[in-house]
Amino acid sequence: MAQDIIDGINPTRMELLSLKNRTKLAVKGHGLLKEKRDALIKEFFDILDRVKGIRENAELSLKEANDALLEAQIAMGDLAVRKAALSVKESIDVDITSRSVMGVAVPVTNVKMEERSIIDRGYGFSDTTIQLDEAAKKFEESLKYLIELGEVEKTIYLLAEEIEATKRRVNALEHIMIPRFQNTEKYIDMRLQEMERENFVRLKMIRSTIEKNEKAAAAAEAAQNAEA
Amino acid sequence: MSSVAIIGDIDTVSGFRLGGVKQAEVVNTAEEAIAAFDKFLEDEISIIIITQAMANEIREHINRKIGSDVLPMIIEIPDKDGSAGGSSDQINDLIKRVIGVEMVK
Repeated sequence: MAQDIIDGINPTRMELLSLKNRTKLAVKGHGLLKEKRDALIKEFFDILDRVKGIRENAELSLKEANDALLEAQIAMGDLAVRKAALSVKESIDVDITSRSVMGVAVPVTNVKMEERSIIDRGYGFSDTTIQLDEAAKKFEESLKYLIELGEVEKTIYLLAEEIEATKRRVNALEHIMIPRFQNTEKYIDMRLQEMERENFVRLKMIRSTIEKNEKAAAAAEAAQNAEA
Repeated sequence: MSSVAIIGDIDTVSGFRLGGVKQAEVVNTAEEAIAAFDKFLEDEISIIIITQAMANEIREHINRKIGSDVLPMIIEIPDKDGSAGGSSDQINDLIKRVIGVEMVK
């Protein structure tokens, strides 16, 4: 991991500068994403608290409704119940809008369901019993709970997906991208220093060669002067 | 205004018809369930209620069609024989995966 750097990068000052900017951006993005993840998880827990009660409610009311239906079937016969069921008018009006939780669209349902009397349901009276009325009422009730449950569960799924995606991004930045940028920066920095040292040594060598040559020239000149 | 649809066995469907759901499809096999499900998707029904027993049969089909879309909302319900525990298990799995720890429910 320590040697993980961006491939094929030129160790120049320009690259170093742009890399520093990229690192800054990555760190900033990482911070933001982390905040987003935490906010999402908080929202997720809030909804989890809600779902527990709702599922129990819905299942209980559905069970009651099924029991009532069974009673109606016993009293009237299976076929008569089915026949009556076919003539019931539509009772439910759901308005679905969406709300945004940290950029995730989650559904919000608005159920409009008026309390219906026996007359409104639409089946005849002569061949139906009180048990059927009871069953219909119970099913209307549980429908309301079920839609609420559906909304909350869908929200949980959507939030969970977003949390997973955000988590992956945070981890990718934290453990791969940012270390890679930093390693590359370090690599370029070291290469530049190395080049500077090389240059320095080269200059020293050149200077000492020049000085040696000058000294030799001066010595030769002095010898000539002495001869003359 | 959006509507609600129900896919399930005859008793569940009768019950929900009594409760005022008009879009109803009685299914007994996975093929029928898939056909009913596709039909409701085409009709742009926004809430589809399906019995857990059927949902388990056609789970793959549902996941493929819905993905992470907001609509339609799929609601799984236990049928008259009671809950198979499928849906709340799914939720628990999800929570475990997302939070990283098991929540006691």
